[in-house]
Amino acid sequence: MFALYKKEVQSYFCSPFAYVVSALFLMVFSLSFINGISNMDSNVLKFSFSNIFYNSFFYFIFLIPLLTMRTFAEERKSKTETIWLSAPITIPQVVFAKFFAVATVFLLMMVLSLFFPLIALWHGSVIGSSLVCGYLGFFLWSLVCIAIGVMMSALTDNPILAAVFGEAAMIAVIFLDNFTQSDLIQSLPVVAKIFGWFSTETRYGAFSQGLFSLADLMFFITITLVVLIWTIIIIEKRRWSRG
Amino acid sequence: MRILFIIAFCCNDERGFAENMVEIKNLTKYYGTHPAVKDISFTVGDHEVLGFLGPNGAGKSTTMNMITGCLPSTSGTVLVDGYDISKDPIEVKKRIGYLPEIPPVYPDMRVREYLTFAAGLKGVARNDRQKQVENAMERLHITDVQKRIIGNLSKGYRQRVGFAMALLGSPKFLILDEPTVGLDPTQVMEVRRLIQDLAREHTIIFSTHILAEVTAVCERVVIINKGQIRAEDTIANLEASVGGDLKLCLKVEGEITKVTDLIRNTDGVISVDEVEFDSQGVNAFTVTVASEAVRKPLMSRLIAEDCMVLEITTVKSSLEDVFVKLTSSSRAQSREDALEELGKELDAQREAEEAAKKAGSAEQDKTSANEEKEAED
Repeated sequence: MFALYKKEVQSYFCSPFAYVVSALFLMVFSLSFINGISNMDSNVLKFSFSNIFYNSFFYFIFLIPLLTMRTFAEERKSKTETIWLSAPITIPQVVFAKFFAVATVFLLMMVLSLFFPLIALWHGSVIGSSLVCGYLGFFLWSLVCIAIGVMMSALTDNPILAAVFGEAAMIAVIFLDNFTQSDLIQSLPVVAKIFGWFSTETRYGAFSQGLFSLADLMFFITITLVVLIWTIIIIEKRRWSRG
Repeated sequence: MRILFIIAFCCNDERGFAENMVEIKNLTKYYGTHPAVKDISFTVGDHEVLGFLGPNGAGKSTTMNMITGCLPSTSGTVLVDGYDISKDPIEVKKRIGYLPEIPPVYPDMRVREYLTFAAGLKGVARNDRQKQVENAMERLHITDVQKRIIGNLSKGYRQRVGFAMALLGSPKFLILDEPTVGLDPTQVMEVRRLIQDLAREHTIIFSTHILAEVTAVCERVVIINKGQIRAEDTIANLEASVGGDLKLCLKVEGEITKVTDLIRNTDGVISVDEVEFDSQGVNAFTVTVASEAVRKPLMSRLIAEDCMVLEITTVKSSLEDVFVKLTSSSRAQSREDALEELGKELDAQREAEEAAKKAGSAEQDKTSANEEKEAED
């Protein structure tokens, strides 16, 4: 399993892929950062990193499918999946190896973004708890999106289609909360409640305020696991019907 | 002593005696309602090279995918070394090296990097990996391309990289799905030699639709068609099973219908099985004859009729005949029908000619009689 994980991480850095996505991510992050500073009022000389996270996440979420689109679709297209289907490892191991590889690439990007709090620290002060919780919430939210992206990639043998499906799913993830707040859904309290259970944005809200809640942590981990288990089922199902 | 015996028996695990072999029992695979493989059973013994033969789309790859655990079967089991693929897939996969039809190589990796990754994936111990990778590269003669990116390699090299991958982890069984497809003749020879060489350490199942390959490498063959086993025997036995008739191949210059007619009507010729175009005005006839003695009358008859015999050889019945007989019954049938039709046509033509001749001669008689009458008048 480690061999597959290592190979996956390497493949991101052997192609320009990881670099391009990292650059875009940092660009989005720096734009939010600049925006935050320029909007600072002379009376209130502080801004929140959580807001920057939220803003950059709003744009960055659409880059995640670009990272995940190749995971399974590419292998299916070039018929290289036989190498791990015939190797002495199980499908769950394969799915987790690939998921952790993308998560690692993402984690590295987040490490790069530490540059911004450092600048802030140089010229002022940073509230530690808010920053740490902001990063944690951001990372957990991204894990859910990565898992969904991996699942979309397992559904098709065309990476572009996987990216398109992924984008659609990301829109659903990010706008679920707004949708729940709409008048139509609010008029149906049961539906609103059910949608509320799956709303990732409200869960992230707690983290962004510097609050660490075990329930929210469990929520993100559970959703990620459920999506990954679906991915395992999808791949097993496809194994039955492949020619 | 007795205690030792008991201990020995107790230690003997439940896998029983089915060691060192692949046992395939009633393997069936349905894609929806379409059966791809139906009730296939055979075994492969220790250090055996088994040829798996069949035309395209016969179910070879499906069967191989099921043996390697890439594809679950609808019913039936595969036992490798006594382990059931559906119950202990990991144990089975540890013992199998698989080279699929399209080698599963990542085009963006370097050869050495890829093989090291594959060795890791197959659970080769870290300190043993480099040694195994080097051995495999040497065996396949790819050491000189080890630093190149696989995507830039030719088809033959990619095939060899895939082959090297299958050898990693020193598996007991090698499953090779059409290992020589897309290789040039020298590489094909090399791969055949390699398979013979590997047979000393491994048990090999390999599929192909090239018959010369099977005759060169295997001891035993399984022939499948439309998902079912048509034959399973040694090559010698299979050849003997169809080797009843003596066949001659004649290359004759002359008009096709005339020559066919001449050959057919020579004593001792049982049938004309095949007529193939050879070159301008020359056709090759495959003829079933009663004995070698037919050669002489056949030759003299053809020469007498001004048909040049360019070549006459005895056709040795081969695996090819077995294969054609077992796999393309419908095609052979239609060819036989065509020949029969040609025969009927020729008969009809001859009858018509004879009738015309008769009528001609009758008319001639008539006219000559008339002439005589006129002369008398």
